[in-house]
Amino acid sequence: MICPIQIRKPEMLLAYAAGDLDPESARLLEAHLAGCSACREIAKDQATVWKALDGWEAPPVSPDFNRRLYGRIDQGLQLSWWERLTRPFRPMPLRQALPLTATAGLLLMAGLLLQHTRPLAPAAPSGEIVRADQVERTLDDLDLLHQFNGTAATAESAQPDAM
Amino acid sequence: MLTNAQPYMLPGVENDMAVAAAATLDYDAELMLRVKEGDDVTFGVLLEKHRVPVIHFVFRLVQEQAIAEELSQEVFLRVYRSRSSYEPTAKFKTWLFRIATHLALNWLRDEKHERGQERLDDVSMDLPALQICDRRPSVEQEMVSEVKLDQVRRAVAGLPEKQRAAVLMHKYEEMEYTQIARVLGCSESAVKSLLFRAYETLRARLAHMGTS
Repeated sequence: MICPIQIRKPEMLLAYAAGDLDPESARLLEAHLAGCSACREIAKDQATVWKALDGWEAPPVSPDFNRRLYGRIDQGLQLSWWERLTRPFRPMPLRQALPLTATAGLLLMAGLLLQHTRPLAPAAPSGEIVRADQVERTLDDLDLLHQFNGTAATAESAQPDAM
Repeated sequence: MLTNAQPYMLPGVENDMAVAAAATLDYDAELMLRVKEGDDVTFGVLLEKHRVPVIHFVFRLVQEQAIAEELSQEVFLRVYRSRSSYEPTAKFKTWLFRIATHLALNWLRDEKHERGQERLDDVSMDLPALQICDRRPSVEQEMVSEVKLDQVRRAVAGLPEKQRAAVLMHKYEEMEYTQIARVLGCSESAVKSLLFRAYETLRARLAHMGTS
């Protein structure tokens, strides 16, 4: 038969074996253990497990652990093109973002106000777009005009003689 | 250097609230909020405080020192990289160990897959009989303790992954059931059950050490 303590309060046995149980609970459990061989066995074996685990020490940490870590952090900051690309768009801490946003807002408002208060400047002559074929056609027209004028002058000078 | 006598206060109501929330959780969460604000020196403080426990925890999970250090580097790298999105919703140590456990268990799964489960599942408790040729007690003791240590390592490695992580956090980090539950993403009662089953297995495998 399984003792109710193993079902309802198994952590009590674990804490007792680890020496973590408060004195009052430990006293009550010890009274129970005196009459329950199953729990007594568990508590004894658990203490053995605890002691065995205590003997398992981890090796010391490499002295250059921090240097390697900071190297990786720096490398990430220097070489990651994606980070460099997205850094300006990352959410900024509030205490940095607030003054920057306020300054940008003030500059924008000042710009708008200046634009509205400035007197209207005379409209600049709008530049015409002159196309090459248009120029060529105009020159041709001028040539034709010259030719026409020449012909007209010749005809005019010949006319009085005929009269 | 930060001390408890100099509480860090940030301008702005939101930050005050965040700091107050962090302070109710633990001081490390408060420090992490400073890292979030761009204080890299404080990251060094957190690193110094948690470096050894994290590396030792990961070492006992994966049982290879070089891998443990590599994975621990990744843990702190992730902490640093996620500083801007950090929210103190749990104790800092819980968050840290959640990252560490996640990385270590992932590595174990990959490793297990690669090696065809040869190393962790094929844990034999039938160690060869110890041959002691040298009668000097120091050498003898050394060998016996080495064998015992090997048995402990194998017994722990033979546990299912979640049970192993739970035992290591309970035994070596003295974490509470609620904290372990948050790290493993399960209920407190599930953690109690995990631990009791894990210790049951360990008792069966290591109880003989009490008689030797």
